[in-house]
Amino acid sequence: MPNNTLMSDPIVQSHQAVREATDRSMLGLVVEQARRFAAREIDPIAFDRAAQLPRRVLKAAAEAGLFGLAIPESYGGLALSLGDICQVVSELATRDGSFATSIGLHNGLGTRGLIAYGSQSLKEKWLPKLASGEAIASFAATETGAGSDLMAIRTTLTPRGEQVRLDGEKSYVTNGGFAGLYTVLARSPEMGGARAHSLVCVPRDTPGVEVGAEEHKMGLRGSSTVTVSFDGVMLPMENVLGTSGQGIAYAQHILTWGRTIMASGCIGAARNALNAVLSYVIERKQFGRSIGHFGASRAHVATMAAKLWAMEAMVERTGIEDINGGSIDGISGATKVFCSDEAFDICDRAIQLHGALGFLSDLGVERLLRDARVTRIFEGANDVILVFAGTALIALSRSDAGRRCHATVEPDLEEVARAWERVEQELQESLDRVRKKYGVKAIRHQLVLQRLARAHIALQAASASLWRARAVDAVARSVARLSVQQLLATAKENLSTLESSEIDESNHLQVTEALYRLGAMPQPVRA
Amino acid sequence: MNSHVNNDQSKRRQRIIALVAEILELDDPKSIKPTDRLREDLGMDSLGSLELLSTISEELKLDLEMEDAMGISTIEDACAFVEHHYAEQHPNE
Repeated sequence: MPNNTLMSDPIVQSHQAVREATDRSMLGLVVEQARRFAAREIDPIAFDRAAQLPRRVLKAAAEAGLFGLAIPESYGGLALSLGDICQVVSELATRDGSFATSIGLHNGLGTRGLIAYGSQSLKEKWLPKLASGEAIASFAATETGAGSDLMAIRTTLTPRGEQVRLDGEKSYVTNGGFAGLYTVLARSPEMGGARAHSLVCVPRDTPGVEVGAEEHKMGLRGSSTVTVSFDGVMLPMENVLGTSGQGIAYAQHILTWGRTIMASGCIGAARNALNAVLSYVIERKQFGRSIGHFGASRAHVATMAAKLWAMEAMVERTGIEDINGGSIDGISGATKVFCSDEAFDICDRAIQLHGALGFLSDLGVERLLRDARVTRIFEGANDVILVFAGTALIALSRSDAGRRCHATVEPDLEEVARAWERVEQELQESLDRVRKKYGVKAIRHQLVLQRLARAHIALQAASASLWRARAVDAVARSVARLSVQQLLATAKENLSTLESSEIDESNHLQVTEALYRLGAMPQPVRA
Repeated sequence: MNSHVNNDQSKRRQRIIALVAEILELDDPKSIKPTDRLREDLGMDSLGSLELLSTISEELKLDLEMEDAMGISTIEDACAFVEHHYAEQHPNE
């Protein structure tokens, strides 16, 4: 094992340590620069009201290097890892979700396909421009008839001699209004088989590309969301990424990055909400005391911190798994679902703690909730990801599922670590019961699948929380402990409702059949 | 008797292939070969495979266990799997 021998060499280890320390220190500088940039240039309330990001801010972001985070150094970027990009994006999102979304999308969904699968010449042509911010990247997969179901895409890519022709229309294209390059997912039945899809890079100025007007949105109003249509757009064959026909597989990889980066944006929103609460609950007095000293408020604040701890742990762990070369297909979906759900809950609690003031837009807390809402929908609706995750869980054989043990935990977290193992055992037993009870028909029971997935995700988050609490101070350990305790309660609650799933499903069926037939809520008819 | 059994088997096989075509949105079920692998050749993910077997189990009133189903690789495997369980659970037909 030559690698092991090399890595055990103390000199090599020391070089490795120096390199890692240098990388850490560079990341620290980039994050600090992002924080200063955000404080100086970003006015979240103004962007929200104007429903756009000023051009000068995008230009300043380009000058600050924020468009080159993911791009290899040889093309003028910083070549940051997924985990490091997440740290920068969460820092930006602490100031403003719209701006962080634009930067995050460019560095994730927008450029990932070109970096991972683009030809040398395509990369040479575009990556320097994308790194400098001369061109901004966008990703176009969704259509009006194809959201979570990517196989329903109707946009087509067909070979025409040395070129390809693109026809169709994409909806909800983030960054679409100011993007210079779109990565588009299209059906390509003549390129890779009847069910084949391909990814193709489309420069905005190509004849036949038409960019629609900005959508009016509930949140992330400063970000750009448009429809982009392609009418007989002719492109060189080299603009097709990687092997033609592999578009869905490539898109799934690109989505692992997109979902993780999006989750880091959720962290920023949650951090912002918690910071706003911490300064308010001490200052605000009712019944002669700071409201933060009431037990009901403490419950909210402590829960917000515990949830934020777990969100940060999930994103950090996903980033590390990606660096280690493991598949992040499953965990990036779990991280996305977990962080988007928790960010919304944290922002909601922040409004509650601010009382009527939280409802006013000048404070900016209500904007956090509006901005957070869509994260539970885009890049895969949480409901759908949960069904897929539940299906994947029951399709795994027991040995595949495994039990992730925590080799070392802090002594005062031992008790919750053991509790984690007991609940994990309960999950495995529940999975066995579901497999046995329903067989292959389990996929017809979406409520069961979602409850299993929710339990599993809560356990993953609890595991990440424990892992993140290695060698941390007492305050952090107390936050981590609460986080694990609350997540185990969530997992147990989901497992305990499995038994009643059939009754619940039957009730849901009965009520919805009547409502769908009537088309409205019926008024009760009394005898 | 034998021709009756073979006829039923052939119908079930055709139904499996038609369902695969339906799930994969293929216009022509004839393009599917028995040796095609569900994942590698046809691009069917685990959800698609479960959808196929779940529909078959409902139509043919069969109990199909999840763990056994995971070993299916090709169209031929799927047909043999269904026939095996059909013979076991409907011995008089």
